[in-house]
Amino acid sequence: MKYYSVHHHTRYRYDSEVRESTMEVRMQPRTDRQQRCLNFLLEVWPHAQVLATSDCMQNSIHYFDIPRRHSELLLRAQALVLVQDSNPLPGNLEGSTWKELEDVAATGQHWDWLTPSSYARPTALLSSFAEEVSFGKAKDPLHALFDVNEKIPAVIEYTPKSTAVDSPIDTALENRRGVCQDFSHIMIALLRREGIPARYVSGYIYQDPERKDDSDISGASHAWVEAFLPVTGWIGFDPTNNSVVSDNHIRIAVGRDYADVPPTRGTYKGNARSELTVGVHISETEDEDIPHDLLDNGHITVREFAEAESSTRLRIDQEQQQQQ
Amino acid sequence: MPTQDETVNESAISLFSNYALDGSIFDEMFQENGRPRESYQKLLQSILELQASELTQRQQAADLTFLNRGITFTVYGEDSTIERIFPYDILPRIISDEEWKKIESGLRQRIHAINLFLRDVYHEGRILQEGKVPFDLIYSCANYQREMRGVKVANDVYTSIVGTDLVRLPDGEFAVLEDNLRVPSGVSYMLANREVMTQVFPGMFGGYGIRPIGHYGQALLEQLQTLSPKGRDATIVLLTPGIFNSAYFEHTFLARVMGIELVEGADLLIHDGFVYMRTTSGLQRVDVIYRRIDDEFIDPLHFEPDSVLGVPGLFNAYRAGNITLANAIGTGIADDKAVYAFVPEMIRYYLGEEPILRNVETYLCLRDDERAHVLDNLDKLVVKAVGESGGYGMLIGPYSTAKERESFRQQVLENPRNYIAQPTLSLSRAPCYINGNVVSRHVDLRPFILYGGEQENTVIVPGGLTRVALREGSLVVNSSQGGGSKDTWVLQEN
Repeated sequence: MKYYSVHHHTRYRYDSEVRESTMEVRMQPRTDRQQRCLNFLLEVWPHAQVLATSDCMQNSIHYFDIPRRHSELLLRAQALVLVQDSNPLPGNLEGSTWKELEDVAATGQHWDWLTPSSYARPTALLSSFAEEVSFGKAKDPLHALFDVNEKIPAVIEYTPKSTAVDSPIDTALENRRGVCQDFSHIMIALLRREGIPARYVSGYIYQDPERKDDSDISGASHAWVEAFLPVTGWIGFDPTNNSVVSDNHIRIAVGRDYADVPPTRGTYKGNARSELTVGVHISETEDEDIPHDLLDNGHITVREFAEAESSTRLRIDQEQQQQQ
Repeated sequence: MPTQDETVNESAISLFSNYALDGSIFDEMFQENGRPRESYQKLLQSILELQASELTQRQQAADLTFLNRGITFTVYGEDSTIERIFPYDILPRIISDEEWKKIESGLRQRIHAINLFLRDVYHEGRILQEGKVPFDLIYSCANYQREMRGVKVANDVYTSIVGTDLVRLPDGEFAVLEDNLRVPSGVSYMLANREVMTQVFPGMFGGYGIRPIGHYGQALLEQLQTLSPKGRDATIVLLTPGIFNSAYFEHTFLARVMGIELVEGADLLIHDGFVYMRTTSGLQRVDVIYRRIDDEFIDPLHFEPDSVLGVPGLFNAYRAGNITLANAIGTGIADDKAVYAFVPEMIRYYLGEEPILRNVETYLCLRDDERAHVLDNLDKLVVKAVGESGGYGMLIGPYSTAKERESFRQQVLENPRNYIAQPTLSLSRAPCYINGNVVSRHVDLRPFILYGGEQENTVIVPGGLTRVALREGSLVVNSSQGGGSKDTWVLQEN
């Protein structure tokens, strides 16, 4: 059991003024069996009234609008989360679990997690990849899961910025490079193909600053996979790290794939390019000293949208889950 | 070929010289023995008393009226779109009181069951769990909106406005061909047809007690008002995709009749979870939107991101209960042509009643045995894409070429879920005045149902839009495919 304090700052800068920004945010960690979100605060500048609701997958949503002209938009999310230890997994499952999965499918309850979605869909490249890693009917589905979780990162190299936020899985499959989003989409598409219900998790991963070789970044946005088996229920797998999900993983939202759960989704009026800056800081104790403003220190990721669109409304889905 | 009555002159008889009666097709005017049906006797008398030249004059006057009033529709072509007058036939279609009573009660029953179905699917899903309707059929619908799961819809009314297409089969019974539950159109033509008829042919009404339809606009407005807690004080707008939409004439017409603002997406904005309309005197809160925009274009934040027709953020205001949309989002699952086949089951399941109006026999191509039957009988059946409307995406077997059938065979095999087939129906025929003759042409009927949450508070203006396949022998009544329309009379109780 661990307590985490998460600070997640987002800044959009527009190169000319925009107006009527409408935005929907998925940043509040979920509260369910595995974790509890004890506190959540979202500040928006320019000031806006932030309203809350939840989507059809029970993810929390915050939304707001800024009618007046602005050239910068800041979001500061803070969350205090309690993450439970995961239940230990059984070493083996009965071979009959494959048959039980068919029964699960026949109820229709897991339709969303068993059918192709925008990014997690079967392609010819996926089929040959499945053959290459010989993914399929292992003696039981749990072994199949461990197997594919190990093989994806063995064959595909984790390479920051190698794909875009809206890349289909074929891009990563072809170039053998990708980020956590691609690893997750590939695994989800493979699992659904074999009749294992699978969903995408958007969240954060905590990296112990002591153990981290790469300077002192202590946490980041991340994405991984959950698979459903009749005996175990939902189990988290992190194919980017070839690991089972632990109490270092903080879950924000679940969806069929990334398209269901982007951290922010918005529209605005005006012909402007936007530049997005994101900073995430996670600390393990409640009273840890949180950097005052993450955007001004060195540990931030900056992405620029190269092309401006000619339409008056530019979609500003963003891509912070590209980082890990 | 009416039987000659005493007073009729020769030229009047020759009006009917090309009128075909066929025992295998129900004729709206004549019985099989050639005698007029009771409801048509006075009309026939009026026609026979007139000179052909007079009928022609009235027809021309009617055409001119349509043109002057700009009552048009748009035909979408591959390269261009054309605006046309809606072809109009001056001979009315007559429905007896008894016939109408059955249609009316059948539609009340059907639309109520469909609304209970929509509520069920987006909440508990009982009918799917119990296997009465296959869950995969619903979840695979292009118009299934998972975001509607658990969303409370005002008064549980999903479809305030419905246009259900009925056809009359050789035995004289009406059957439902399809329900239009998303943004049905055509009601303005129903109203215009009556207005034009009273202007150019007042004499034709002589002796008939015809039930009025002119209150449709008021009835629609009242139905929309019940969807807001503010009732009569609610601010209601009609949201149109704009002037390029085929039904734009109807949007302007209905907004005017109801005395509400006609708006486009850019005229609305969302602020702090509420919907506002930009007016010359500032922003005004909106309570109900009669939207004539499809689901996928209504909110670029939630649905089609590239759409500029809708209002960004509208869905969150909707989910919060701060705005009512008529019709609700996600109703398209119930007018999918494959789901249509299950409507009789819905009526039995939710109401414990037998359907008053029957369905047309339908083969689901996703079922192996039914698909095999369809592919073996492509030359006899009508094959339809499940999500299309307006006569697009359809193969009429008996009138198709081998090449068209082959193309449909491939499409069905590639995506069986997307196709259904029905027998080629012998739609009933009604008299039409075309080129100086009274001839019989195939017709259907689209009544407009204003559903209010229960069968009792559902309003159906008597009649509806009778569409005519003006080309001889043609079975396609859609305005986009060369169809026209005529005034529809429901007779008062004797």
